[in-house]
Amino acid sequence: MLQDWFSKNIGVITPEIIKSWFVYDKDAPLLFNTGLFLGLFLVFYFWYILLRKANTLRMVYVILFSLFFYYKSSGIYFLLLLGSAVVDYNLGNLVHRTSSIINKRLCLTFSIILNLGFLGYFKYSNFIVDITNNLTGGKMAFFDVILPVGISFYTFQSISYIIEIYRKEIEPTKRFVDYLFFVSFFPQLVAGPIVRAKDFLPQIYQKLNVTQDDINRAFLLIIGGLIKKTIISDYISINFVDRVFDLPNAYTPFENLMASYGYTIQIYCDFSGYSDMAIGVALLLGFKLPTNFLTPYKSASITEFWRRWHISLSTWLKDFLYISVGGNRHGTFAGFLFPGLFFVGLIIWGISFSATSNIPLIIAVSSAILFALTFLLSKDRERTMYTNVNLMTTMLLGGLWHGASLRFIIWGALHGLALAVHKIFLEHYPPVKRKITFFTPFLKTFSIVVTFHFVAFCWIFFRAKDFPTALQVIENIGKVTFDFNQWLIIAQGYKNVFILMFLGYFWHYIPQKVIVAIQNVFISMPLITKAIVLGLIFWLVFATASAGPQPFIYFQF
Amino acid sequence: MNSKFLKKVNQNKPYFFQAWAIVCIAILSFIGFKSFLPKKLFPESSNNKNVVVDSLMLDAVAEGGNLSEEDTLSNKTIKFVSNPLGIQFSDEKFEQYKGYQYLIPFFEKLYQLETNKKGKARIAYFGDSMTDGDMIVQDVRTQFQSIFGGEGVGFVNITSESAGSRGSILHEYSQNWKAQSYLKTKSPLRSFGVNGSVFFAKDTANTTWVKYKAGRNRFSTTLNNPTVFYGSSKNKKACIRQIIGKDTIYKKLSPNSILNATQVAGDVKNVKVNFINADSIPFYGFNFDNGKGIHVDNFSSRGNSGLPLSTFNVDLMNAFQQKLGYDLIILQFGTNVLNYGSLNYTWYERKMTSVVNHLKECFPGAAILIISTADKSTKYDMQMKSDSAVVPLTLAQKRYAVKAESGFVNLYTLMGGDGSMVKWVENVPVRANKDYTHFNHRGAKEIAQLIYKQIDTGYQEYKRLRAIATKKAKPKKVVKDSSLPVKNDTINE
Repeated sequence: MLQDWFSKNIGVITPEIIKSWFVYDKDAPLLFNTGLFLGLFLVFYFWYILLRKANTLRMVYVILFSLFFYYKSSGIYFLLLLGSAVVDYNLGNLVHRTSSIINKRLCLTFSIILNLGFLGYFKYSNFIVDITNNLTGGKMAFFDVILPVGISFYTFQSISYIIEIYRKEIEPTKRFVDYLFFVSFFPQLVAGPIVRAKDFLPQIYQKLNVTQDDINRAFLLIIGGLIKKTIISDYISINFVDRVFDLPNAYTPFENLMASYGYTIQIYCDFSGYSDMAIGVALLLGFKLPTNFLTPYKSASITEFWRRWHISLSTWLKDFLYISVGGNRHGTFAGFLFPGLFFVGLIIWGISFSATSNIPLIIAVSSAILFALTFLLSKDRERTMYTNVNLMTTMLLGGLWHGASLRFIIWGALHGLALAVHKIFLEHYPPVKRKITFFTPFLKTFSIVVTFHFVAFCWIFFRAKDFPTALQVIENIGKVTFDFNQWLIIAQGYKNVFILMFLGYFWHYIPQKVIVAIQNVFISMPLITKAIVLGLIFWLVFATASAGPQPFIYFQF
Repeated sequence: MNSKFLKKVNQNKPYFFQAWAIVCIAILSFIGFKSFLPKKLFPESSNNKNVVVDSLMLDAVAEGGNLSEEDTLSNKTIKFVSNPLGIQFSDEKFEQYKGYQYLIPFFEKLYQLETNKKGKARIAYFGDSMTDGDMIVQDVRTQFQSIFGGEGVGFVNITSESAGSRGSILHEYSQNWKAQSYLKTKSPLRSFGVNGSVFFAKDTANTTWVKYKAGRNRFSTTLNNPTVFYGSSKNKKACIRQIIGKDTIYKKLSPNSILNATQVAGDVKNVKVNFINADSIPFYGFNFDNGKGIHVDNFSSRGNSGLPLSTFNVDLMNAFQQKLGYDLIILQFGTNVLNYGSLNYTWYERKMTSVVNHLKECFPGAAILIISTADKSTKYDMQMKSDSAVVPLTLAQKRYAVKAESGFVNLYTLMGGDGSMVKWVENVPVRANKDYTHFNHRGAKEIAQLIYKQIDTGYQEYKRLRAIATKKAKPKKVVKDSSLPVKNDTINE
């Protein structure tokens, strides 16, 4: 009887299935939105609570779980995580103990080169091979490497630890266990937020506690994250966005446009949803991670966008890259190198096309001129030049951080250029001079719409698998004509997708007050009701995930 | 102590066990919800009248979806009858059936092309959305042309829903064409052309035009001898206008026979043709070939199940056969009948057998090659797996290939069999799209290679058998080339 019920509702459990729970499978990483994580977490959390007062033991326990968590996603590379933690911990101590500035710098440089070297080897070696092959026409063999999950994130965390020690913002951790706990902490290990040593380490030495408020917030984040990531993002990507970006020309201009809007909400829901789950899970364990997204598409300018989008990355880049190459004070060789290379490369690319079309060259030259104008038009030319060049470096490398491809560099460059243009605009039309008038709300809405569309445009480069595909999507969107009938037919065909997309945007743009009101309803519920709501969300995730991809649709107009 | 303070104290109390209880109860209530709430939030079927599906298939499903027939073919060995020259491919088990014997007329054409550089060969490649935008077919064409010569993309429609996604030729047209396709129209104004469509210039006030520009594919970088194909009409005033440089050239159309062809230019990079006073003339399309080697025409239509081919008018098709001379007809269908709701494909097998027989009447002398459906995945219990309809459908396709004496390519096994589509979609490099049905360019290229490889294996075997047969026949000095089973030697220039 019980066995029947068990096999019907949970499934038959065989030794192979149990084995699959604990063995690395590259196709099934341990994501927060999987049933396996839920089951493992339930057991893990129970013992975690019992161990809450045994500090060291609890930390070792979490580290072991984290390493297992990482092994489930990256296999043997958990040793890399472990190894680099040993090296970084000792280098951190060395930087702290060394008194001579030169030796300190040396240790720091060595550590950064080492960390970036690993990241570079795993993430960029084949990209460099590819570029070299293209430039020289050679046939250098590609490296047989896979990208260990989360290496981009934990490398940045390790670097922040050492730089902060060097800058005397923090003391090194007292024990290796503490450091390993910081680097391997599983909630943020594979997809951020990028936690800064100075924010996290103090929490290790505090008494562990979670309040009712923390738990409410944690579950709200987890519920929101699950809906964003699993229901909205995953569904619209597999059933609509991916298809259009696979073969844009097989779709109507309107479908191309909607796919681009679809990707804009998809990437936000995917990324922020996963971040929210990470923050929520950490909160359940009693650790507070920084907020990573603040409804970024509500931004009225590109500068504001970067204060609301992937905040942990943008602040990291600002503190450690932008400041390091000179910030808004002075120029450095490194600061000029990348924008220089970029614009030279862009112009060479333009020239290489000049036989067939002049448009690439025009684009290349005019973007270089536009960038130059952003500081030539300034009152303080030199200083603005340093600022903008360093900003450009930050955005170019920030773009490259997202993935090893020219597309990400273009994406970064577009954002860098926009930030510089916005700066010079602000200099000439400072906000204080603008009076609040009847038109102010309209102007604000207009700015939000423009910013949103610029960001959505840039995402096309981010998403498309290569440059020609991105251009095809843009070209197709250019052909959109108003044809309500056709739009309606498409909307009916992709009913579920469009409903979810609408839901995503609606949720994004409703006033914060409404969100807070809804959250208060949840908070005021008794414990059991909260649990049932959470169970209902689990069911929603399950029922969305079990829907197969919608059949391919070709429309007849 | 006031209550506010109490609340504050309460709030700071550890809340770990409550959190754990919430997770626990949530899991239990999830299991409860799962047992009575629906399993899927979004059902997969979307009944939308605006989605392309061919109407003949819907009718066929409605009338004969439940037919059943005893399976007499599986486990059987298929024996081939030797051809007049004495060439006989060895027997095949139904399991591994390929039916090379039935491709002999085509193989002989290839042989003549390869050894004597003589004659020419032509393939009509019918398909559904899998070959949309010249996917797969363009790669098959390049493969053939690189070995046997020939230039040009072959026959191209006047208007096409997939013009935008086609890279092998750039194709634009005015919006005032009226198009009828065998997919949707049961009784067209005039018979469908070989491409399953017929087009009319419906507007006499504005010019009706069509524009082609050569793409960048190998052997298709020029538009070779663009020639417009059209049917008969009482309208004798019609002409076409082209602007070449500063000259405007008019050419009269002569819609006198059942099928007429007018060449509009020599080898050019692009061509724009305006149709003047061309109402009521049925237009079919443009042909681009250099008159040598091998040519492959892509006749793909989204949503096609294959059944619409039964509506071809025999007289008109005979006329097409006269002018274009098809040696091989390839039929690649199946995707659109995978999801009709049952695993019984007897109705499809019957209908397609008669389609193939009809095609033999339409294109006398041409060999027929059936390509099965590719693998397609569906989600079963949270996992993407091969759709349960794929294997039954490939079996039905193989059965009608045997019955109608056609060659057969099992694309499902060629691409890897069970679970292969999941791999094509999820493994790097990605070779198929996220709908788990259609290939991307990389995948299409690989599919084309697999198909070509199987045809070529048959061809190599044919050459070997031919050599043996000729050696045997030589002493008697009876067999001449002319006695070879090439029925279709009256290729019209």
